Amino acid sequence: MATAPVLLDNSHEDPRRRAPLVLGEPDFGAITEQVCAIVEKPKPPRAWYVAFGISLTLTGVLFAMIGLLFLQGTGVWGLNMPVAWAFDITNFVFWVGIGHAGTLISAILFLFRQRWRTAINRFAETMTIFAVMCAGIFPTIHTGRPWLDFYLLPIPNQMGMWPNFRSPLLWDVFAVSTYFTVSLLFWFVGMVPDLATLRDRAESRWKQILYGILALGWRGSGRHWHRYERVYLLLAALATPLVLSVHSVVSFDFAVAQLPGWHTTIFPPYFVAGAIFGGFAMVLTLLIPMRAYFKLENIVTTRHLDNMAKIILATGTMVGYAYAMEFFMAWYSGNPTETFVFVNRALGPYAWAYWTMVFCNVVVPQVLWLRKARTTPLALFVVAMIVNVGMWFERFVIIVTSLSRDFLPSSWGMFTPTWVDLLTLFGSIGLFLTLFLLFMRLFPLFAMAEVKSVMPQGGLDIGPHHGHGQYWGEIPRQHETQFAEDDR
Amino acid sequence: MDTQLPDIFQEKRLLGEAGDTFWRRALAVGLIALAASVALGFAAGDHGRSFFFAYAVSFAYVLSLSLGALFFVVLQHLTRAGWSVVVRRVAEGVAATLPVLALLFVPILIGLHQLYHWSHAEAVAADHLLHGKSPYLNVPFFVVRWVLYAVTWGLTVRAFVGRSLAQDASGAPELSLEMQKRAAPAMLLFGLTLTFASIDLLMSLDAHWFSTIFGVYFFAGSVVGFFALLAVLMLMLQRAGYLRHAVTVEHYHDIGKLLFAFIVFWAYIGFSQYMLYWYANIPEETGWFLRRQTNGWGWVSLLLLFGHFVLPFVALLSRAPKRNRKVLGAVAAWMLVVHWVDLYWIALPELRPQDPLPHLVDLTTAVGLVGVWLASAAFIMRKRSLVAERDPRLAESLGFENA
Amino acid sequence: MSDAKLTAVEAPPARWGLLAEFESVEKLLAAAEAVRKAGYTKFDAHSPIPVHGLDEAMGIRPTRLPLVVLLGGAAGCAGGLLLQWWTNAVDYPFMISGKPLFGLPAAIPVVFESTVLLAALGAVGGLFVANGWPQLFHPVLRSERFRAATDDTFFISIEAADPRFEDGATRALLESLGSRAVEEVER
Repeated sequence: MATAPVLLDNSHEDPRRRAPLVLGEPDFGAITEQVCAIVEKPKPPRAWYVAFGISLTLTGVLFAMIGLLFLQGTGVWGLNMPVAWAFDITNFVFWVGIGHAGTLISAILFLFRQRWRTAINRFAETMTIFAVMCAGIFPTIHTGRPWLDFYLLPIPNQMGMWPNFRSPLLWDVFAVSTYFTVSLLFWFVGMVPDLATLRDRAESRWKQILYGILALGWRGSGRHWHRYERVYLLLAALATPLVLSVHSVVSFDFAVAQLPGWHTTIFPPYFVAGAIFGGFAMVLTLLIPMRAYFKLENIVTTRHLDNMAKIILATGTMVGYAYAMEFFMAWYSGNPTETFVFVNRALGPYAWAYWTMVFCNVVVPQVLWLRKARTTPLALFVVAMIVNVGMWFERFVIIVTSLSRDFLPSSWGMFTPTWVDLLTLFGSIGLFLTLFLLFMRLFPLFAMAEVKSVMPQGGLDIGPHHGHGQYWGEIPRQHETQFAEDDR
Repeated sequence: MDTQLPDIFQEKRLLGEAGDTFWRRALAVGLIALAASVALGFAAGDHGRSFFFAYAVSFAYVLSLSLGALFFVVLQHLTRAGWSVVVRRVAEGVAATLPVLALLFVPILIGLHQLYHWSHAEAVAADHLLHGKSPYLNVPFFVVRWVLYAVTWGLTVRAFVGRSLAQDASGAPELSLEMQKRAAPAMLLFGLTLTFASIDLLMSLDAHWFSTIFGVYFFAGSVVGFFALLAVLMLMLQRAGYLRHAVTVEHYHDIGKLLFAFIVFWAYIGFSQYMLYWYANIPEETGWFLRRQTNGWGWVSLLLLFGHFVLPFVALLSRAPKRNRKVLGAVAAWMLVVHWVDLYWIALPELRPQDPLPHLVDLTTAVGLVGVWLASAAFIMRKRSLVAERDPRLAESLGFENA
Repeated sequence: MSDAKLTAVEAPPARWGLLAEFESVEKLLAAAEAVRKAGYTKFDAHSPIPVHGLDEAMGIRPTRLPLVVLLGGAAGCAGGLLLQWWTNAVDYPFMISGKPLFGLPAAIPVVFESTVLLAALGAVGGLFVANGWPQLFHPVLRSERFRAATDDTFFISIEAADPRFEDGATRALLESLGSRAVEEVER
């Protein structure tokens, strides 16, 4: 069996050496055992059944709500004039945002040579795929007539019409579908070597066939690895601007309009920062319980949590910066409606949503300035949960407050969600969790090949390829004591 | 380590006499050019407006490069970067000019009325919008803000450059941790001060116009300019015999990658700002861009689109050019020019909406400020090692290779 | 266990080549280099992780996949522009919100997405073609020992079709390179 996880804190920094990324000095085989065990155990743990039961029920609720929507039309939602966009698009933006962490970790952190990403990239990419799938539901159903969704695509039809490419909603179609496709390719290509591992370990015939087909005949060939690594780098280079583009395009849905509170130039980078912020929070929400339950502390170490918490803090600060710039410019622009919208957000009928957002996204993450909070899984989990809530409210605040009170006071109106709205939102969380729970029982949740490659046995310091910092020094203790015997 | 790393203590790493000659000459050239600029400004007979606009552009230019350097230094500590140790000290030298720039800011204060419409009480009284902005856009608060920026940047320089130099003497690894600890709050302050400094210095030249992304746009350009500058400086220093073995093609490759990345980032921010205003088509927002698309300024805009994005994007796209010192050096030198054009394009349409070509005073002021600024950098560095020679991550940087 | 079934596949018992097992990255690198220097061309290394420096050791020339990606990107860029221009400005001109029928700022997002999409498809498609995927069976996969190649063990395979392949000499070479075990693989 796997080596018992060694609970060491590797988050203290010693600038003279890089801390190890995999703890307990396991060999390759131990990593394989430990990761594959989650999939190979004949029966999943009881907690899995409980979680699966709940999420499957919620998924059922989601499909029931969608059925109701199709039968009765969008009247079952709380939409009205002037708030013609509400829960549906809020949920869409929320889920697409969550889908940003995966590709950020797999692409951007890869380009920045952040080796610790190897322990969490599969996890986050998987989450990305499922989050984008959840997101895709909402634009598909929001017309209430999904059988006409093909109008969105530039395919010749009997009316001789083409979609309007000047509409940001169509850009969305292209951005989200491209993002989904590229993320899927990235995720699958990255998984091929691990699928081969499962194939080679498979005990039953159907598993051999399933993993055999998916592994494409992978045999760890040096020639294949060479091309594989090249393609991985190229995909990372392509996916990096793609990640930025997706939420930028989503932000265009709002920002090209003239509506106060939507039309502002900082929206694209602000949405991207918010997406990464929310995405990392969701990664931590799922990762921390899994890590504790399956005793993965030697792979997903304290340092990993610390780093992710820092990214949440950094992107959260960017989001706070954007809030501040919007507020400042609303006043600075001298446009009375713009100023009104922001005052209305803070003091108007939706002030409760606004202050929930500020509390969750700006106030609470400040505890991550404390090392203790970043390295305590429970504290981090609580912060991540709060950020998840906050990011949903952020989209709600942007969408609903601006629509409910725009230029003409005579056309102001309020939005109240119906029970269908609420159950659709909770149902989508169920679908997301269902897919994730199924995945963890079928596929490797950690990129074994990549984790192994950053271990000392991976040979990164052999030959000419050294100098990335060797990630297997001793574990630095508190530096106060450590540097007493200065070896310089 | 199994392979031999260059011995940093064998390297030529003190500017020495060449540095003294350089800063004296650069200072002389700079002062002469600045004197000529003042003379040209008087000769223009427009109450010095053309001089002060030229000065504002070139001051924004050197300021942006120094701030880019400060950003780089702080970022390296924030991310515990290893690869960059051998080039970090040069960036520290560029950032260390920020206190000198506080002195060079004085002419902006002198020319406040020539530069900023909002600084005229009678204009504010007659203009409802300006009146509304006057709690922010007024002379005393403007001065107070710049004092705050200067103090923030000065303290940041001291916290990072000072410790880095102290580490040269002691080699104490604690200093790296101290800098890492200070990097996050320093970054926060940096972001806020840079944003408002760019709003004050450049955006408020047209006090009616506003854009929430403006600070990010200025930031993106600054970092592009800084990485171009870093590549050029390292190439020139190496050609002069400094740090011959410590800085390798691998470091240039990384600088090239970052330059490329920020060129794309700049284009992304520029596009976001332009497209959103173009699409919504609200006159109070489009006027700013209209001035930059008409009367010949459209050509400058296109020069930026192609010169600041398309051409360098194509030139640096693949691996080989980033690893070729000549190509990288040429692209970097070009980026240093178009970064100035970018700032010129932001400022000058407010003075001469009919006339996109730079006047002589624009060029002499640029030469003057860059000369004085480079001289101050060389003067600051004259007794300092050009490399953080006892940084605990130095070996990692010396042996660094792009896999 | 289904080994019996696996090996019972009807196949002409011809020799495919030799498979040598190594225990570490260091040994694999040294062995790959030695095999290449001995003049073999039809050989391969197998490892559970990407091994840095293996390209040089094996003498693999840089792949031309980046070119495929560039072409894919160029096609996507041109295609995205043409699609938007032709559908909205030529085939079905439709004035909406006062925008030009074809305005570059509004076209950029879709052009960007189509560029990235085709470039990425080019990268992965090129990878599939160049690696011969899917190739569900390969003689080395017959070896029971080879199952560890995706776990913790390193291998070098030399094909019998290699012009320099000689039964005893090749086996001796692999053994001299520190192989833990050399076995023959059937076709």
